Amino acid sequence: MAFDFEPSVMIDSIPTLLVGAKMTIIITVGGLFFGFLLGAIAGLMKLSRNMFVRRIAGVYVETIRGTPMLVQAMFLYFGLPMAIGIRIPAVVAGIVIIAVNSGAYIAEIVRGAVQSINVGQMEAGRTIGLTRGQTMRYIIWPQAFKRMIPPLGNQFIISLKDTSLLMIIGVGELLRTGDEIVAVNFRAFEVYLTVGIMYLCMTMSIAKALGMLEKRLHLKSQR
Amino acid sequence: MIQIKNLHKSFGDFEVLKGVDLHVKQGEVVVILGPSGSGKSTVLRCINKLEEPTSGTIIVDGYDIMDHRTDINHVRTEATMVFQQFNLFPHMSVLENVTLGPIKVRGMSRNEANKLGLDLLGKVGLEEKAHNYPEQLSGGQKQRVAIARSLALRPKVILFDEPTSALDPELVGEVLEVMKRLAREGMTMVVVTHEMGFAKDVADRVIFIDEGRIQEEAEPETFFSNPRHPRLRDFLSKVVEH
Repeated sequence: MAFDFEPSVMIDSIPTLLVGAKMTIIITVGGLFFGFLLGAIAGLMKLSRNMFVRRIAGVYVETIRGTPMLVQAMFLYFGLPMAIGIRIPAVVAGIVIIAVNSGAYIAEIVRGAVQSINVGQMEAGRTIGLTRGQTMRYIIWPQAFKRMIPPLGNQFIISLKDTSLLMIIGVGELLRTGDEIVAVNFRAFEVYLTVGIMYLCMTMSIAKALGMLEKRLHLKSQR
Repeated sequence: MIQIKNLHKSFGDFEVLKGVDLHVKQGEVVVILGPSGSGKSTVLRCINKLEEPTSGTIIVDGYDIMDHRTDINHVRTEATMVFQQFNLFPHMSVLENVTLGPIKVRGMSRNEANKLGLDLLGKVGLEEKAHNYPEQLSGGQKQRVAIARSLALRPKVILFDEPTSALDPELVGEVLEVMKRLAREGMTMVVVTHEMGFAKDVADRVIFIDEGRIQEEAEPETFFSNPRHPRLRDFLSKVVEH
């Protein structure tokens, strides 16, 4: 049977796929919002002078980084309800998984960026009477944040692509939506091609947005 | 102003300071000389506790800094430090560098702080650079901003940790000039430096530290013309040759 490329299938699938893309965006944005909070907290905890606090953050990062996201998703969505009797909605589970997962990697990004700031900056802050917390907030963090942007962009893109794994727990995101279309029309080539292009558009938007943010922060410091 | 008694400091097994006693009176300019690795910067860094002393007592402006109840953040505003590497805040304008302390620590309003900041920048000759960023300044200008940043807290004493050692030779003069002016105005200063000229002209007292101890302490005239300790004689002969 000769393969017969049908561009019209691609066009026709777009409206349905956009519904899935919207879900992908919701989960990515929600997941990364909480993921960044989680990562910032865990990253700063890793820099704490208190060994116990460092340990907690360390266990979190190691556990999440050391297990597949698919396993975490299935455990949260299928496993946990067996123990506690409540199943959280798939979308919420998706956001939680992306947040917890990206948070572990962002923690390392935050820790690395903060540690890369010269110790002289902390000393200068302390010598004008700022507390450790104030120095962190006004002096270290703004400089560290600028250095976080490129690795954060990387992580944002990875997390966006990782949302496709959530199809396994029935989240109606982009890949699953495409899957459902293929189940009906059997046009796997056209549909998955369209799905791929849509992912590419979204990841490129992230790269572009962070590039602009980086430029703006850079300009601000050398007017 | 500053009383140090029997100060010891070890890094691991290595004892850098082996019992240093030092008194600095209000309005005095004390210059600390010594070969590198002698512990002279460590003494300075212990005074405002950037380095935790191992033992001994240090009283700054009446505060015992070894006492855990002492608010060390407050003591640091009374004994601020100027660093060899300037350590300006690169993400803030020159004026913001100077006003951060007054606003966040002294609780000054932004307006008031800006006025004070511009005034102090004028004093170090950099008023027109107020809205530039540190990376647009030369080393000498950076160090003068750092001095203004310290002055903005109205400290009782300023600690200078090799303030000209990171500068190109032709930029050393402008920084020393500012420091001399401060000395004339009665600012209490403790200066770790290699600038013999500055020590001779400005210091009330010169101290020679070697191997973790104060080996000689005298007025500049006696110190340079009649050094008693053999290590100091050796040190001075080497420095003068250059």
